[in-house]
Amino acid sequence: MRTRRWAVWLALTLLCTGCASLTPPPGRRTDLRYMSDGPAAPARAERPGGAGETVGSTLPREAVEPARRSALAAHLAFLGAMREVSGSTRRLSSELSRLRASYQGIAGAGNGIFVPYVEYGERQRRWIDAGLAAATRLATAASEVEDPDMQLALMRLAGPRLEAAMMGSLLLAVWFDFLDLTDNVLSRRHYGVERLYMDMARFQRMLEPAMTALSSLEPGQVEAAANDMPALVGHLTGEFDALREAVREGAENREKVLLVKESIEVLTTLSVLKFTLPALRAAAPATLGMGFMVGSGGVMMGTRVVVSAEWVEMMQRLVRAGVLSLPAVSAVVRIQAGQVMMARAHGELPRGVREALGDGPEVRGMRVTGRAGAGMAEPPEHHVLPREFREWFEKRGFTGEMDIDQFCVKLEQAHHQAIHGGGNWKLGRTWTGEWNRMVMKALRDAEVEAGRMLTRNEVLEIVAERMLEYGIPMSFIRWRGR
Amino acid sequence: MSDGRAWQGNVKARLYERVRERGYDSLTAFAEARPTASLVALAEELGPNDIAGVQVLSGLLAEAEQRKQVTRFVRGVLVRMLCQSLPDGWPAVMDDANRFRVAKALGSWSAYTPETHEKRVEQARAALRAFPPPPGWRPLGPDDELLRTLLPDEEV
Repeated sequence: MRTRRWAVWLALTLLCTGCASLTPPPGRRTDLRYMSDGPAAPARAERPGGAGETVGSTLPREAVEPARRSALAAHLAFLGAMREVSGSTRRLSSELSRLRASYQGIAGAGNGIFVPYVEYGERQRRWIDAGLAAATRLATAASEVEDPDMQLALMRLAGPRLEAAMMGSLLLAVWFDFLDLTDNVLSRRHYGVERLYMDMARFQRMLEPAMTALSSLEPGQVEAAANDMPALVGHLTGEFDALREAVREGAENREKVLLVKESIEVLTTLSVLKFTLPALRAAAPATLGMGFMVGSGGVMMGTRVVVSAEWVEMMQRLVRAGVLSLPAVSAVVRIQAGQVMMARAHGELPRGVREALGDGPEVRGMRVTGRAGAGMAEPPEHHVLPREFREWFEKRGFTGEMDIDQFCVKLEQAHHQAIHGGGNWKLGRTWTGEWNRMVMKALRDAEVEAGRMLTRNEVLEIVAERMLEYGIPMSFIRWRGR
Repeated sequence: MSDGRAWQGNVKARLYERVRERGYDSLTAFAEARPTASLVALAEELGPNDIAGVQVLSGLLAEAEQRKQVTRFVRGVLVRMLCQSLPDGWPAVMDDANRFRVAKALGSWSAYTPETHEKRVEQARAALRAFPPPPGWRPLGPDDELLRTLLPDEEV
C-alpha cells in the first residue's frame, strides 16, 4: 500500500521534473564529499553480531555459515602460527643481543672480526620481523572483510610471508647455534681464532642462499628454499658436529676435554640442532626403523613427540585453506624430527602424517592448478584491480603489501581473453562485459551512490562479488612484472 | 566454476543445452522462474562447474534484445542485485553500512547495464537518491510496480 502511494508520488514528481533533466539535490550527487581523513570508515567493522548476516555474499544463507566458520578457523590458526614464530624470533633477538655484548667471546675476539656474523643474524631477524608485520597487516585486513572467500584469499596472500618467516626463524636458530658455539669456544680459547673465522665464513656461505631466497618473500623461491631446508639443516648439523669434534680434539688433556665437553654439550638449546645431532650419531638402522606416527600427543617418533597435536591441527587448517604449503610444513616436521640426513633418500613423510598435516586430493589439486604443467606456457597473470587506475586504488588504501600488484590471478588464455572483451561468449550485443570497464563502473557508481570514497574493504567486497560472477578464482598471486 | 572451464568450448551451445535439459525453451523463462536469484545462483543451477554468472546475464540480454524487452531485463537485473545486497529490503535507517549496501547494489547494477540504457539507469539512480523508496521495499520481479514507475517499458 505504502509502496503504491510512493510510486504514484514518484511518478508525479518525475513528470514534474521532466525526468530526463533530473537535477540532483545539492550536496549529494554533484558534490561528492570525499573523506579527507583516509579511507578508514569504522562503521562496518563495528557492526554488532555478524553471525546471521549474509549480506556481502552471493551464496545462500545456509552455504555461508560453514564457509565463514572455516575462514574463522583458518584465521585463528594463522594468528597462532604467527605468535609462535614471533615468540621464537623474540627469543633469538635477545640471545643475539647477549652475544653482541659478549666481550670475553665473540664480540671481543680478534678485534671484533666475528661481530659481522652476529650482525648477519640480526639482519635476518629484521626481515623476518618485517615479513611477520606485513603478514599481520594482511591478517587484520582479512578479518575486516565480510566475504569469507575474500578472507581466505587475503590470508593466502599472507601465506608465503608466514612461511618464509617460519623457515627463516628456523634457519636463524641454526645460525645462532653456530654463533653460540663460536662464542663459547672463543671465550675458552679452545680453538684457533683464524680457523674458526674461516669455518664460520664457510657456514654462512652454506646458509646464505636459502636465507636470501626466503627473504625475497617470493612464493616460488620460498617454496624452493623450504624443499631444500631439511637437507641443508642436515649438512649444517654435520658441520656443527665436526666442529665440536675438532674443538674436543684440540683440547690438550683429559681434564680439559671434560671441561670442553661439558661446556659445549649444554649448547644448542634454541635451535633444532638439538634434535638433529643425536639422530646423526645414532646407529642408522635404529633411526631408519623408527617410524613416524600420529598419536594423541601429535606427531611422534618412537616415544618422542616431534610436534604437538595443537601444532598439527593448526598446520592442518592452514594447509587445507591453502595458506601454507604442505612441502614447507613437512620440512619443518622432518627437521624437528631430526630426519634430515634421510631427506635425499625419500623426501616425503609417511602418508598418515601428511594427511594429519592437511594433505588431501583438494590440496594437491590446488597445487596442480597453481602451476602450469611441465612444458606448458605459464597462464597469463591478470590484474583484478585494473593497473591503469593504480592511483585511484592507492587513494583507497591499496598500498604496501595490499597494493594492486598483490591482487593478480592466473587465468587460462581463453578466460583471460573472454573477460577482456574477446572470445565469442557474449550473446547480448549492447553490453561488452569487459572486466576493467565493468569493475571501474561498479566501483565509481557505488561511490556516487554512497556519496563518499569507498574504503579498501568495501572495494574488495564489490570486487569479490563481481569475481564470482565472472568465475575468476579467488586466489591471488603477486604480479611479477612482465 | 573458477577453474576456467566456463570459458572453454562453445559457451552458447552449453548454456542452451542446459536450459532445455531443465525444461525451459528460453533462458528468460528459466530466469523468470527464479526472479530473485543472484546471477551466480542461476549459473550454479545451470552448470556448477562450467557456466559463469555473466554468461547468463549476457544470454538474458540477447534474448531481451530480440524480444525488444531490454528495459524489463534491466529491471530484472536490479531485482537480483537488490536481493543479494539487501535481503531484508530497503533499509529503514541509512547508516554507513546500509548506505554501502545500497551503493554496492546500484553500482553493480549500473555496471551490468547495456549501453542503450545507461542514461536511463543513471536517471533512475538519481531518482532513487532523491526520493528513497519506503523502508522494507523489496521488489520480487521485473514487474514490481515501483520499479516499473522508475523504469517504464518503452518498447511496448
